[in-house]
Amino acid sequence: MRWTIDEWFVVALARTIRPRETVFHGFGSPCAQVAMHVARRTHAPDMTLVEGAMYAVNPDPPFIPPTSNDASLSRGAAYSMRFEEFFDAAIRGDVDRMFLSGGQIDGYGNTNVTAIGPAGRPKVKLGGGGGGCNLSATIGHLTVWTTRHRSGRTLVEECDFITDLGHRTPLGTRADLGYTGGGPQWLVTELGVFDFRDGRARLVQVFPDVDVAEVRAATGFPLEVAGDLRTPAPPSASELAAVRSVDPLKVRTSEFSPRELDRVFDSGGGQDCAC
Amino acid sequence: MSLQPPRDKRASLTDAIRMVSDGATVALGGGLSARLPMAMVRELVRQGRSGLHLVGSAHSIDVDLLVAVGAVRRCEESYVGFEQDLGLAPAYRRAAEEGTIEVAESCCATVLAQLRASEMGLPFLPVRGVRGSGVSALHPEYAEITCPFTGETLVAVPALRPDVALLHAPSGDRYGNLHLEQPYVLDERFAAASAMVIATVDELVSTDEVVASGVTIPAHLVAAVAEVPFGAHPTSCYPRYAYDRGHLREYVSAAQSGASGLDKYLATYVNGGEESYRTAVGADRLGALATWSLSTGAWQELFR
Repeated sequence: MRWTIDEWFVVALARTIRPRETVFHGFGSPCAQVAMHVARRTHAPDMTLVEGAMYAVNPDPPFIPPTSNDASLSRGAAYSMRFEEFFDAAIRGDVDRMFLSGGQIDGYGNTNVTAIGPAGRPKVKLGGGGGGCNLSATIGHLTVWTTRHRSGRTLVEECDFITDLGHRTPLGTRADLGYTGGGPQWLVTELGVFDFRDGRARLVQVFPDVDVAEVRAATGFPLEVAGDLRTPAPPSASELAAVRSVDPLKVRTSEFSPRELDRVFDSGGGQDCAC
Repeated sequence: MSLQPPRDKRASLTDAIRMVSDGATVALGGGLSARLPMAMVRELVRQGRSGLHLVGSAHSIDVDLLVAVGAVRRCEESYVGFEQDLGLAPAYRRAAEEGTIEVAESCCATVLAQLRASEMGLPFLPVRGVRGSGVSALHPEYAEITCPFTGETLVAVPALRPDVALLHAPSGDRYGNLHLEQPYVLDERFAAASAMVIATVDELVSTDEVVASGVTIPAHLVAAVAEVPFGAHPTSCYPRYAYDRGHLREYVSAAQSGASGLDKYLATYVNGGEESYRTAVGADRLGALATWSLSTGAWQELFR
């Protein structure tokens, strides 16, 4: 069995979803979007999936389009929430997990999708945070992700601007700020997977074609590595089949630099799983 | 302000957009690539509006085009861009980096709270997030308050009452009853919170027909309605048409290339009016966008 990094990455994101959770992704996030459908078709059939900018509840889209509020994404859903229904649910604590990414991510899991450089006169004005600066305060757990770790510019010591809240900002911890959500639980990158211990990202898995020195070189905050560092379990046949059938247009690959997409893995011996 | 009395509110696009003043606070309906009020945006460009204060949630070509022509003083959206597909919004980005517009980036949930305060006639509502994020520093008008019941510290955000909301609907009647398909985004909230609503519809239909489809925005909130076929193009307006990814790509590339590219885009598509816009896009292309409903294969083909 062979698979590519985009497929494995999506599976790693999907595995952060626990059964019965209510899960949401922001717009412009095809990897997270595909991951949610993969989880629902494999280990978490009883999750409640709220689809990006359509706010459709448990849809079965025929394909993932390159824009997040296309009607294809609400196909098969009996109901689509109004904008305010979703935000109310998230703010009162009824949403268990959200996927968040950022142009910059720091070791506390704060993310910046607003501006590189000073906010008043940015070097690069990024698109903006959507609903993140409220949602990240109250949603149960956050799965933070980036497909641009290797660039060396994404995981930073300090975000130029904090759009979405991690475990600690210069104004204090989540408890100090009165936030009811648990904050970042996982940080998944194209190089490896971090958990958060005492509010700081800690490398717990690396992909098998990456070594820790490469991760350290690409990480702007001091790299903490778990004693029992592992490789992510390879995708199962059913997970891979789900990725491929959910996303026939391969919209997920638009999040990766072209050279990452050359990363191909093989379980050898025709086994379904090398784990 | 009273509700809009029942009357025939049909207007030409030109006359409807004359109701928007320079410097107005304008709420743009729809979101991302869905149901943006593009015919009204193009008409604002043709009429040379300036100094606009734009508010909304997540937007793309609507805001970018208005910024590109210099119509905008201040942007207060939660996002302006073309998602991972076509990337950053070229004119918005350039104007923000050069400091030619004020960017008071906001958050969807905050804008929602501000609109709800306005709908309820309240001066503010509290939100639980925002504290500790950089977004609060972009908004000196926010204030921290202590809840008199729980003692919690929350952020009070002031009521937001746009001067005008520009909303596009697939269908509506002459009185301004509008039917929308999901996602409604903030359109219903904009309609109730704004001082005035101007609408375009792809097709004017009878009241019976709009009632049968379902009235999403009632006539008593709408001041004027203009019929403009493909009035949301190049964004989608289901069930009529999907978004035109090729056209969005053409716009992004024109806007990236600076003044000459933008001028060419304006000359080709915007300056001549909506009929000329539809001719320039081409009947074949517009017709193809309506084929989404034929089959999953046909639908997918539009996104390749």
